[in-house]
Amino acid sequence: MSDLWTTIVQLASLVLAVWCGISAFRGQPMLVPHLIGLAVLEVLLLVQLVLSIVLLVQGPRPPDTVTFVSYLVTLVLVPPACAVWGLMERSKWGPAVIAFAGLVLPVLMVRLEQLWNAPVV
Amino acid sequence: MSETTHTAATTRASGPGRLLVAVYALFAVAATGRSTVQILTRFEEAPLAYSLSALAAAVYIAATVALARSGHTSRRVALAACTFELVGVVAVGLFTLLVPEAFPDDTVWSLFGIGYGFVPLVLPVLGLLWLGRSHPRTPDAASSAPPSHRG
Repeated sequence: MSDLWTTIVQLASLVLAVWCGISAFRGQPMLVPHLIGLAVLEVLLLVQLVLSIVLLVQGPRPPDTVTFVSYLVTLVLVPPACAVWGLMERSKWGPAVIAFAGLVLPVLMVRLEQLWNAPVV
Repeated sequence: MSETTHTAATTRASGPGRLLVAVYALFAVAATGRSTVQILTRFEEAPLAYSLSALAAAVYIAATVALARSGHTSRRVALAACTFELVGVVAVGLFTLLVPEAFPDDTVWSLFGIGYGFVPLVLPVLGLLWLGRSHPRTPDAASSAPPSHRG
């Protein structure tokens, strides 16, 4: 697992969270720029998914590969889910959901790293 | 499907409720994923903990769907699910604190959901508060004219 890439995704996610948090606070619904932000995050996550799969195929695997892969897949599903939520909820609570997801993603990434670096029992 | 039921339901599942449903959805996914992996790969290690994980997952799914859906039945299901979660997280939290050896592996509810930033403890409380705030409609209230409703 690429530590550098993980950090990049975490930072991007936090930036999106802060931005959407501000939007929510100002009472804006989800707008096109937010959607673009989500799309960028999605691309970053997809790159991570591909990178991790390549590493999984090549080299040593984490002890709990199944959980690791399920986390990877779940992460990729989060931005599209946010977009759907934002389109359904045309109020400030749309960006609020994105802000929440943006805060949860870095935590999930930490968990992902823990799974990757877990000692083999 | 009367008009009033619909209005009551939309106020419940929109606005802040939507965020609540999102958080519940995430927990439903997390709990389902975790318990599926646990049960498929190593059920015999901690049958009690893993069965509990599966039960918690099912309740999270029920709560998510019930909170998102309209109607009185959904409201009752959501109430029951949130109450069950609150009881579950407190009971399992106490149990794991007092009799740790009964749970060789963690569940979502272990130590009051410490592994998930205590969100499992906070979530049912928020759910119940939200259900309480989005006012229960008695048959009487439903037949009378709805109080000022803003778009």
